[in-house]
Amino acid sequence: MENLLAKVAEILEVDEVKPEDVLDGFEEWDSLTVLSVIVMVDGDYRINLSAAEIRDCRTGQGLLDLVARKATK
Amino acid sequence: MNLIFSNRKISGILTVVPANERSFVDEMSNFNFPERRSLKLKEVMGYDKHRLVDGPVCVSDLTIFGLEYLFANRLLDRDEFDALIVVTQSPDYIMPATSSVIQGRLGLKQDMFCLDINQGCAGFLIGLMQGFLLLDQPSIQRVVLVNADVLSRKVSTKDRNSYPLVGDGASITILERTDDATPIYMNLKMDGTRRDVLRIPAGGMRLPSSPETAVMAEDADGNLRSLDNLVMDGSAVFNFVQVEVPPMIDDLLQTAGKKMDDVDMFLFHQPNRFMLEKLADKMGVPYEKMPANIVEHYGNSSGVTIPLAIAHNLRHRVVGESINACLAGFGVGLTWASMLMRIGPMRFCEMITF
Repeated sequence: MENLLAKVAEILEVDEVKPEDVLDGFEEWDSLTVLSVIVMVDGDYRINLSAAEIRDCRTGQGLLDLVARKATK
Repeated sequence: MNLIFSNRKISGILTVVPANERSFVDEMSNFNFPERRSLKLKEVMGYDKHRLVDGPVCVSDLTIFGLEYLFANRLLDRDEFDALIVVTQSPDYIMPATSSVIQGRLGLKQDMFCLDINQGCAGFLIGLMQGFLLLDQPSIQRVVLVNADVLSRKVSTKDRNSYPLVGDGASITILERTDDATPIYMNLKMDGTRRDVLRIPAGGMRLPSSPETAVMAEDADGNLRSLDNLVMDGSAVFNFVQVEVPPMIDDLLQTAGKKMDDVDMFLFHQPNRFMLEKLADKMGVPYEKMPANIVEHYGNSSGVTIPLAIAHNLRHRVVGESINACLAGFGVGLTWASMLMRIGPMRFCEMITF
């Protein structure tokens, strides 16, 4: 799971995404990056997220919580 | 549900694409999106060129052009088919049916069953199913299945969700009985609770088109479209395909008692290269067995993309020999369907330009 934000940083083409970072604050955060996150989480964790769920996360921590919550289901 | 057919074949395919070719790079200034991000979109999704009708061209125009080509080249006799199925989401009129328009404009015989079906990206499979069923009737010797759409006319040029990938076109597929009793297996599912994922909100009886429905509005991603335009929830479609299609193919193969390796070609609907490659990865299918190159050449023309995938990639092969094909279509409805069948040798498989 610690890998997740590093992968998101790669998608956003930035050095780092910290748990407290607001995702919408990144220049590259748009529908295409949201889709890339869906694909990455599906590939790495076998979890299907919707675009709406990801947008509701707001922060890096929110995304970590969402994936953790889905993983235990 | 599982369906099964036997003694049925596809004896020919003709595809019709508009001559008017547009490129993503020329159109990306229409999108409310930085150029750098548009180029990223192009790279990730595999967008490049697409074929669109130029002006008020209708489904019947593309289809009649194709049928007249077949008549003129003696590939189809105008009196020797008994049913005309037209699968489209962009009919000439709300009424009458576009199949009746085509019958009338061509002066075809009256002993003819004309049927329109409102289906999209699964429309080739749904059309094959209906055509195979009609061939149960002794008086129906041959069915002409038309898949055709001119949906570019309903997509906003400022919608980067849909405009880069839309394509127009028509395919004409000839269905006949055959002595070969090899079973054709089909699997079909629908889910109307997800009907809003792909739709044109206005223009029917629920919300007739009006000056209000023509007003352009911006969505959360900066796309501009009106209620008269096609709207697609792209990420919901992506999830739908990745979740539903692989188990459907597993079921189909299991019902048929076949393995992935028994299939020569996976001829799937072409939403974009990206989605097909993710699907191939998930199913463990090598890319060379699943063509994904139709959107970058012609765009996504709904039910026409499987015939285009065959005509573009395999036209010589399906005329010369028989292959084990797994077909799949998935889209509006939502609808997802697959079919395992032998394809070829066909009498013809061609592509012409309108």
